[in-house]
Amino acid sequence: MERLDIPTFQPRLRVLNREQGLAIHEAALEILEKTGFKMEHPRALKMLADKGCEVFDGNWLRMPPHLVEEALKSAPKDIGLYDQKGAKTMHLSGENSFYGTGSDATFTQDVDTGERRRTVLEDVGNFATLVDGLENIDFAMSMANPEDVPIDYIYIYVFAEMVKKSNKPIVFIADSGRDIAKIHEIASLVVGGEEELKSRPFILNYSEAISPLRFPENVMEKLIFCAQKKIPICLPSGSNAGGGAPVTLAGAMALGIAENLVGLVVHQLAGEGSPFLFGPNVSALDMKSSVVCYGCPEWSLTQSALADMRDEIYGIPIWAFAGASDSKVMDAQAGAEAMFSIITALLSRANLIHDVGFLEYGSTSSLEMITMANELIAMSRFYLKGIPVNEGTLALEAIERVGRGSPGSIFLMDDHTYDHFMESLFLPKLIDRSRYDAWEKEGALHLYDRCNREAKRILAEHEVDPKPDGVLKEIDQILKGG
Amino acid sequence: MSEFKALSEAVIKGDIQSAVAETQTALDAGAKVQDILDNGLIAAMDEVGEKFSTGQMFVPQMLRSAKTMQECMKLIKPLFQEGELAGKGKVVIGTVRQDLHDIGKNLVAMMMEGAGFTITDLGVDVSPETFTQKAKEVGADIVAMSALLSTTMPAMRKTIEALQDAGIRDNVKVMVGGAPVTENFAREIKADSYAPDAGSAVIVAKKLLGIS
Repeated sequence: MERLDIPTFQPRLRVLNREQGLAIHEAALEILEKTGFKMEHPRALKMLADKGCEVFDGNWLRMPPHLVEEALKSAPKDIGLYDQKGAKTMHLSGENSFYGTGSDATFTQDVDTGERRRTVLEDVGNFATLVDGLENIDFAMSMANPEDVPIDYIYIYVFAEMVKKSNKPIVFIADSGRDIAKIHEIASLVVGGEEELKSRPFILNYSEAISPLRFPENVMEKLIFCAQKKIPICLPSGSNAGGGAPVTLAGAMALGIAENLVGLVVHQLAGEGSPFLFGPNVSALDMKSSVVCYGCPEWSLTQSALADMRDEIYGIPIWAFAGASDSKVMDAQAGAEAMFSIITALLSRANLIHDVGFLEYGSTSSLEMITMANELIAMSRFYLKGIPVNEGTLALEAIERVGRGSPGSIFLMDDHTYDHFMESLFLPKLIDRSRYDAWEKEGALHLYDRCNREAKRILAEHEVDPKPDGVLKEIDQILKGG
Repeated sequence: MSEFKALSEAVIKGDIQSAVAETQTALDAGAKVQDILDNGLIAAMDEVGEKFSTGQMFVPQMLRSAKTMQECMKLIKPLFQEGELAGKGKVVIGTVRQDLHDIGKNLVAMMMEGAGFTITDLGVDVSPETFTQKAKEVGADIVAMSALLSTTMPAMRKTIEALQDAGIRDNVKVMVGGAPVTENFAREIKADSYAPDAGSAVIVAKKLLGIS
């Protein structure tokens, strides 16, 4: 029997039809044209006014839709993020998805004592090392707001620490135009100059506007800095349903997208063709505790919807979250919530997916949680590969051999199994499938215990290729200079 | 309380129309305004607080109750003589300098108002000098500060220092809150109290002023 090459369908989730997507987009444009937004950065305000935005009530602006269209045209459709050795490891475009950690956790779950405690700079280094050593975690964020560094320079210290302990791409936070310039200086040192950084960026800035519809001066400073230096940036606002935005998801998305479009327009005016990662954070405000949820189905749903809108309308890569939880400890809730967001983000082809490893609605970071997520991502990526159908995988010859073979023939003994089992099946590392007696003999460990052991092993054994002494010295000079 | 049962129930349900009508009815029947306030409105809000903290009510429902109470207050407030309206205490509240995130602060202000405190909301990006000046001006019992960004947290310390410098630190209680703020941080900057969320802010405030 002859078989032509059959393409493999890779599972893809859709949650919006085209009409829904267009209606949300049009609502976003209407918000900008009718309600307007508050621009607190004088130069950005002037840029927008010069381009035809209507100024009212001092620093409020209304934006005509054609500005959005122009910005969408000039924004790049793909963004390349490189590792710190210059290899393009994250091609942010179309169907590609990459996972990484989150930023600014106040607490961490101590890997030795299990205690929830304030984060310190050493934690930033440990998280970066772990990220460096995990095959499915593609980029690093700080995972900590350390209490043992001067608060005015916190983001510079945190960035320097990540650079020292990881060679993967870094998504970083800054406070304003002042510290972002220092961080840019450090990043340039790492790759051997500003031009090199521009052509092979390993950094992406995360900044936030304030929902609803406020654009603070320090945030715009960072946006304009990145546009001019060609450093990739994303500018999601906290347009969470019921918090910064209306409680209905369509309205929350429209508001968040409107805010993102303002960012994009300013960004493209300040640096045409500079890389901008699209997408708001549309989670939900919990109606009892009023926390912004990190494990809720709403956030996964809105980012799946955004992925559909990317495909239908925007065409530029998107920002997303996954692998986090509202649970206070790494328990069954944490596992369930982490997996829910990890697989739906992948099924929707979200591009840059952050916050992996958060507990307690982003307030606590956990090394074990990242280690678990690394395996959950592997499971999800396996699922996404789909089912290749061809001569080899249909295995008719193996079926003939074993089915009609001598008594005692089994597939497990057949060469076809030997040749194919590695790529045909998912082979877990931390998920336990041992027989009961073996599990009990090994200490009856829970997944948390196994992740704890694995995280400790990686921290002890994984060697991060060090930066040259000269670079490290110069970084320390910058830190000393304040 | 029983004589204001219908009023209390309307406040708890967040039924503005009925609550306002019940307030008017009580006034027409010659009820004392202080009784309407204490045994009708505040009693209802205490129950709302109780229901909320035990998970029987959601935030928007609680806020609707607070709004309902405010609407009723519009009727009875003018009937008090100047200075006669005995609130639970005067609170000056705002987000600290450079911090523009006010959702949490607004929630705290609403809940405290619902619990009977008199609120002066200074909005966002409030300088230590403004906090101090307003606290003096209104004779505040509590200064409540909020910060969402770790980089704005130092402004809380600065505000406390400003209260000290102005010589009114001993006259006010200082409460702090916001995502990156912790109990330890509150202690470190010598605030009087820390509240992790809006619900506990009310409890903390009552405790600070020795009100049950």
